[in-house]
Amino acid sequence: MLSTLSQCEFSMGKTLLVYDMNLREMENYEKIYKEIECSIAGAHEKIAECKKQILQAKRIRKNRQEYDALAKVIQHHPDRHETLKELEALGKELEHLSHIKESVEDKLELRRKQFHVLLSTIHELQQTLENDEKLSEVEDAQEASMETDPKP
Amino acid sequence: MERAVPLAVPLGQTEVFQALQRLHMTIFSQSVSPCGKFLAAGNNYGQIAIFSLASGLWVELVNSVLHFSLAHDGPVYSMVSTDRHLLSAGDGEVKAWLWAEMLKKGCKELWHRQPPYRTSLEVPEINALLLVPKENSLILAGGDCQLHTMDLETGTFTRVLRGHTDYIHCLALRERSPEVLSGGEDGAVRLWDLRTAKEVQTIEVYKHEECSRPHNGRWIGCLATDSDWMVCGGGPALTLWHLRSSTPTTVFPIRAPQKHVTFYQDLILSAGQGRCVNQWQLSGELKAQVPGSSPGLLSLSLNQQPAAPECKVLTAAGNSCRVDVFTNLGYRAFSLSF
Repeated sequence: MLSTLSQCEFSMGKTLLVYDMNLREMENYEKIYKEIECSIAGAHEKIAECKKQILQAKRIRKNRQEYDALAKVIQHHPDRHETLKELEALGKELEHLSHIKESVEDKLELRRKQFHVLLSTIHELQQTLENDEKLSEVEDAQEASMETDPKP
Repeated sequence: MERAVPLAVPLGQTEVFQALQRLHMTIFSQSVSPCGKFLAAGNNYGQIAIFSLASGLWVELVNSVLHFSLAHDGPVYSMVSTDRHLLSAGDGEVKAWLWAEMLKKGCKELWHRQPPYRTSLEVPEINALLLVPKENSLILAGGDCQLHTMDLETGTFTRVLRGHTDYIHCLALRERSPEVLSGGEDGAVRLWDLRTAKEVQTIEVYKHEECSRPHNGRWIGCLATDSDWMVCGGGPALTLWHLRSSTPTTVFPIRAPQKHVTFYQDLILSAGQGRCVNQWQLSGELKAQVPGSSPGLLSLSLNQQPAAPECKVLTAAGNSCRVDVFTNLGYRAFSLSF
């Protein structure tokens, strides 16, 4: 009888221990479950963050590609410095040529004026010669009439 | 090619007719509802079908058509959605429908208007509709080579913009300076300033050697703009233009003429005569080519409504009775059918 009693006590003690163990296992599982939930929430947040970063990175890539596209087009055009230099050289040539033109025009004006003076003096001389001729004709005519008058 | 009617069922007149209709259907236009959960598609018979995207995505139904109505006498060439209305345009008229009522049977149009055409005899088709939210107005363009502006509150036609010499295919809105771009059969992309109602810039695409393809023609089939940049394609090759300097920067190497193009994040999505939706990077590289189920695609629609982020999909429709839905841009998830 003692042995059956002790056996019963033993099995009851065992079941009590198993019960305790199960309770503690449950608590453990609850703890792990909560931890996993937290990490899932954390992962969700990280995913949202990463999505935002992806959008930002896509925007940056788009800007970079736009820049590249424009840069390609710009490369086709000649360099700005070279064109500026060419423009300067052309400007200097233009100035030089305009100087020459001015000096030539001045010379032309001078010659024109001198020629004008020459022509006008010639005309004047002609005029005076004609006047002199006329005067001498008139004087001859007067002398002839005076010679015929004092005769009688 | 799918068999629309199984052979075991005796073929009656109506089934044959319906099968033939579905065989020859072309879906010209699509529009997403303001709540983001429904998609409206208009076809060449004048019917508008409303598909439920939410049920399609979660339950994987293929025929989730909620409603089907004979809306127009002719084909429905273009549709846009405002906050509460669906505007559809076809041969000469634009009609408005309330989204809330579209889901019920026997819904009637709210109003219909016809822009003032030059002669009352001509009934030109309206190829493109564009909403200008800042002014609360609608711009119509189509067969009569003019852009008509209609005020949405009063319903009156305010401006007429003339300049194109041939009919207009597509419109795009440049948000920063309120300008409208229009591309047409005459090969020119014209920029119009909405405040002064005048043509600001003209880009004759076919005159540039890099992109012109004379064997295809000079028509501009599709336009999309991103304020500083513009993509246009059609007869000439699909090209990216810088608007301020009017120079073509990148030519996308695809032979088929493209009928619809749009900017999306850092990509350019285009669809046209081939079976696939093409994804391009701005540098001209082809990132992906995703095949759809229609032999040719005419319109793409991106559901970016903030009210329904779970329905963020790309839908493509064209020369068949199916609308392909792409949930991830990489593959075709499923198709909705008329």
